[in-house]
Amino acid sequence: MSTATKPYDSTLQAALLLLPTAAVLVAFLYYPALETFRLSLYETLFLGQRQTWTGLGNFVSLLTSDVYRYSFLITVAFAAVVVFGTLGVSLLIGYLIFSVDVRSSVYLVAAIWPYALPPAVAAILLNFILHPNLGIFTHYLELLTPFTLDWFNDGPQAFAILAVVAVWKQLGYNIIFIVAALNNIPEILTENARIDGVGRFRMLYKVYVPMIAPTMTFLVIMNTIYAFFSTFPLVDLMTSGGPSDATNFLIFKLYRDAFQFNSLGLASAQSVILFVVVSILMYLQLRFASGYGRYGG
Amino acid sequence: MSDITIQNLRKTYDDVRAVKGIDLEIDDGEFLVVVGPSGCGKSTTLRMLAGLESVTDGSIAIGDRVVNEVPPKDRSIAMVFQNYALYPHMTAAENMKFGMKSASEFSGDEIERRVEEATETLDIAHLRDRKPKELSGGERQRVAIGRALVREPDVFLMDEPLSNLDAKLRVQMRAELLKLHRDLETTTVYVTHDQTEAMTLGDRVAVLEDGRLQQVAAPQELYDYPSNQFVAGFVGEPAMNFIPASVRQRGDEHVATAPGLSLTLPAGSGLDGIDDDGLTLGVRPEDVSLVSNRAGASESFTAEVTVTEPLGELLLLHCRLGDEEIRVKVEPRSRIAAGDIVELAVDTDRLHLFDSDGDAVYHSSVPEQVTESALAD
Repeated sequence: MSTATKPYDSTLQAALLLLPTAAVLVAFLYYPALETFRLSLYETLFLGQRQTWTGLGNFVSLLTSDVYRYSFLITVAFAAVVVFGTLGVSLLIGYLIFSVDVRSSVYLVAAIWPYALPPAVAAILLNFILHPNLGIFTHYLELLTPFTLDWFNDGPQAFAILAVVAVWKQLGYNIIFIVAALNNIPEILTENARIDGVGRFRMLYKVYVPMIAPTMTFLVIMNTIYAFFSTFPLVDLMTSGGPSDATNFLIFKLYRDAFQFNSLGLASAQSVILFVVVSILMYLQLRFASGYGRYGG
Repeated sequence: MSDITIQNLRKTYDDVRAVKGIDLEIDDGEFLVVVGPSGCGKSTTLRMLAGLESVTDGSIAIGDRVVNEVPPKDRSIAMVFQNYALYPHMTAAENMKFGMKSASEFSGDEIERRVEEATETLDIAHLRDRKPKELSGGERQRVAIGRALVREPDVFLMDEPLSNLDAKLRVQMRAELLKLHRDLETTTVYVTHDQTEAMTLGDRVAVLEDGRLQQVAAPQELYDYPSNQFVAGFVGEPAMNFIPASVRQRGDEHVATAPGLSLTLPAGSGLDGIDDDGLTLGVRPEDVSLVSNRAGASESFTAEVTVTEPLGELLLLHCRLGDEEIRVKVEPRSRIAAGDIVELAVDTDRLHLFDSDGDAVYHSSVPEQVTESALAD
């Protein structure tokens, strides 16, 4: 036997040590996942008390439903706006923070604090600030520009407001990673560019962005997950999917179908579809990005 | 015109004074090497020349133009860095073109022509489409040099460009740099910590220590007539032997004495009025030899060999002389072992005396140009 310290004495002990983690994973991840998949093949009544086998019936009815297809479309549009909006704005702010010589940590903290707010708190705060009648932002916007904010009734406005809020909420996370990635780029490249007289924004998209491509890929994936799943509290607290389904995104729709309309089977089917869609997206993103991020210094 | 005039150049970081007042004139087309140990301020000086560091005090002029406040891109310089600073996601050719494409004054044809030329000059045409990770260190540095060449600058600045290469490649690249400079005749400022590089490359060598310029001279002059003890010790491998000595006047002659050693110094201007203790006698290892090899040596001394280092082309002896250790280069196949007592003599034309401040007060032979100017007076 080797003299290296073994963290356990027997297989039984190892299994016991693993048990808590395994139990949590099974109880809260694998079992619900399998159960969701199973439920998606049933029609349910009374909170799932009565289940009727329908096979792919739920999927058929979803894919032929105009409401679902509309929800699908606006979700994809929303995700696209949030993913690339977040990335674009973060890149710009991150680059500015990276470029300043003094007090960059102060700017960094200022830029990332929204991320520290719980989403529900952020949603309530912004609800007040952007409220069509009471919001302070609305007040000055309508005072100084010809625009009026009416996102309680105007679908596209509600969509836009949610997108802006979702981007704002996610900026901090992206900025942390982008600033860290930029700081990893050897300073000598920046100095060489100064001697060559390369413009700042040319440098950004010709040198920095390609060099931090691995980080950008990671952020695209994280932002995609965020846009599809984690924007739920914002929708719930700010628009409740309205007006007239303009912000009834997939994640919100499936929640309502499950817990307000008690169609657990139908909601499970939506979960499965959402899971498949996001998986495919992730695969494509990784596939697309594998061309980058493989160069040495 | 691309001569460079540096006047009273200073650089202070917070409370650290990195460069403490440098005056230097670099001629048009000259290859000047700035050499010194790490932390001596040589890189800082070069970076100030490039405009990558601000100037705390003093001035830098390229040609007739003071460039203190001129941004790097407008100084007509190109810089080659120690670790190449190539963009990893671009091919060699793209790396060379990138800077020029960013400056609008060059047409596509012009850029293409210059890259063509540079790759031919540097013999890297076949590497054009490779990315840095597919290149060896030497090839990367060639690409980096190529990138500097295509700018056709008035001044090349090189910051230890060969330090990352292995020894063999370094020797080869050294020769190529020399050839390149002979062809282009572009003013070049080259920073290195390697005194061999400094000696072989420089038209003149500037020795820097502790933020101050110690001496600027042609390589051989630097070697033969160091202006102070630091330069004497820094240039030459192994370093010059320093022996604490006192010099006394005896009649017309000056005699230097140290424990175990007494030497009559050949007459020289520096000796006038010297009758001192606390001096340092400097003699290079190759200027000490076995007395049997130095015909006509009138004064000899003995020393005990403590260590022998066979270096192939010569045998280096470490000998104890009094309390001092001196290094002596002798014939490679001499039958000498540690513990032997050897009888040594020095080349009296190659003696140096330094005062207690380290300044050279006397060289036993006189630099030629000094002789000429002395004659002219």
